[in-house]
Amino acid sequence: MTPAHAAGSLAALLLVAAGPAGRDPPRPPPPVLATADGRLVATVELGSAFPSDLQKRLSNGLTNVIAIYVALVAERGGTPAALYGREIDVLYDVWEERYDVKVKDPASPAGRSQVFASFEALRAFLARAGGVELGPVEQLGAGRWVTQTRLELNPVSHELLERTREFIANPGAGGRGGTPSRSVLGAFASYLLRSADAGADVHELRSRPFTAREVAAR
Amino acid sequence: MSIPALAALAIALATAADARGAAAPAEPEAPVARRYVVEQIRFDGLTRTRPSEVRRHLSLAEGELLDEGAVLFSRLRLLQLGWFSRVETRLERGSARGLVVLVFDFTERNTLVVSDLVLGSTGPQPVYGGLGLSQGNFMGLGLALSGAFVYGGAPADQPLAPARFALRGAFFDPDLALARLPLVFGVSALALHGEELACADPECSAFRGHYGSAPRLRYDRMGGELTFGIRPGPFERLLAGYRLERVGAERIEGAGAAALSTDPHLAAAQLRVGRTWLSALTGTYDRDTRNDVFFPTDGTRLAVNVVLGSQALGGDYEYSRYLLQLESDHELPGGHGLRLSGALGAVQGDAPFFERFYPADFAYFSLGPAIGRALELNFSTDSRYDSYLALLGAEWGVPLWSSGAFFHRGYLALGARWLHTAATARAGRTPASRTPFSGDLALRLDTPVGTFNLSLGYALDNFL
Repeated sequence: MTPAHAAGSLAALLLVAAGPAGRDPPRPPPPVLATADGRLVATVELGSAFPSDLQKRLSNGLTNVIAIYVALVAERGGTPAALYGREIDVLYDVWEERYDVKVKDPASPAGRSQVFASFEALRAFLARAGGVELGPVEQLGAGRWVTQTRLELNPVSHELLERTREFIANPGAGGRGGTPSRSVLGAFASYLLRSADAGADVHELRSRPFTAREVAAR
Repeated sequence: MSIPALAALAIALATAADARGAAAPAEPEAPVARRYVVEQIRFDGLTRTRPSEVRRHLSLAEGELLDEGAVLFSRLRLLQLGWFSRVETRLERGSARGLVVLVFDFTERNTLVVSDLVLGSTGPQPVYGGLGLSQGNFMGLGLALSGAFVYGGAPADQPLAPARFALRGAFFDPDLALARLPLVFGVSALALHGEELACADPECSAFRGHYGSAPRLRYDRMGGELTFGIRPGPFERLLAGYRLERVGAERIEGAGAAALSTDPHLAAAQLRVGRTWLSALTGTYDRDTRNDVFFPTDGTRLAVNVVLGSQALGGDYEYSRYLLQLESDHELPGGHGLRLSGALGAVQGDAPFFERFYPADFAYFSLGPAIGRALELNFSTDSRYDSYLALLGAEWGVPLWSSGAFFHRGYLALGARWLHTAATARAGRTPASRTPFSGDLALRLDTPVGTFNLSLGYALDNFL
């Protein structure tokens, strides 16, 4: 197994784990399913997953990253039959007053660019993820399937968090020379929450079940 | 959250690499990356923290070309300081085209936390209690200031005896800006008045719960320590210090036939009578790569502490003390955590008892009268201190929640420790009380005012 496949498997597990066993995610409209050259292509509605302050966040003048991952999973759960990833970089130019967007996905690994003159236009673009290819349509067979979508807003890499991490203990509050002190509640040197909330948002969406017949109907 | 992000990024790359050659639709190209200059850096939301302290931790400065990587790095670095619960960044237009104002928007966090909360009862001291507070961002300068006290009052059946108390204060500058070196500086002070019973047996059983006429060592300590250090790396501290204490001690014989015991393990035999001085050099190497203080699931903590007391430094005690402590944290499936810990300690020479090891301090609980000390005050009848210590422990943590309002996070800890001390082996206790094992089941809570530990082991210690 290559590292990329191993990482893919891990992401798949995370998507599956966040499915039926997790909290009830918001139910988006069902994906619009179609076939193209014998492959299943979905259009996923993401509008319900975006935070209410999306405009404020995407208009901060700095690059914001939206990562979208869609998995095709049997309704009863299990390993995803297909996975799809898309990364969207959004940069608001404070002088030009426009949104510069770069989309990277399997269709454009190097990225394709778009410009939006208003937030409304940008939001309409972001709310509808089209061209999500989920493998050969025959794999659907007679079973019932769902799409599970994971949307991350400004994910922070583990490496970057590690690079900014430093010594976290506080000797000023501890005992002398490693001598423990017993207290009834604060029995070990308590200190501040050092785990940084880097501000990343993760939202998960699970579609209603569908079958191959519904795909064929479209 | 970061692990899924990493995995997700990897899958995106994997997916992109596997992509079939579908041609991208023609889209208008976005302009190449902007080259704005940071005209001004502004801080919004600072009420306690001084802007100059924040500015020290930024990776970019006014007048420089805007570097988004440096902005993100600075933001994460500020979050890691622990002073803020939220740090957001944004750009605003500058005074002319091409210039921007970089705004950091802060939500400050409470940095005053409870470090100790003591409440207890023993035969020789029916009620005692205390409190410790720690300010992690004193005067908004990033300095740590802590203080703690424990008060017990007069010992049981001795209403005219001096009260038992301990006071401790400490100041620590983790980032001393001096000659551009990564220095640290600390100073601490201690004032304490205590008693250690000196019966022939650890339970003072001859006095049947009335300890007023039991033999004892009455002592007081007053002193402090100055510490200077350097940070060789981001996770390391190397500290050197000097400690000076004035120690007063008086041995009080018991009533009747209850002579003061001269057992060498007893505190009464390990401190010189009269007015003495302790003068010592201290050295500490501390390496902490844990990812979290409250519920670490990755990293290690290594602490090596050496104390050299000498008459050559003007003191009365010639001794050396070594203590090595190690903790290793691991993530288990389901988000659980495993903490492995160990300690080795040795004391050589003529060390006063409080420089030796009190086993109950390191165990979850002790069978018998010993109970963990509070701010180095021993309220039990057991006054045996040892020259050697060996500890092995494991603790399994089960996270319960992670996004509460006041109780931010909580987890259940199930721990076991094996502890060896020479005092245990020679104490002449019952076979059951010689057992070197102790265990704990505890609920740990992370709150804005400190970390709380509701421990069954501690509760047991008060009754066993």
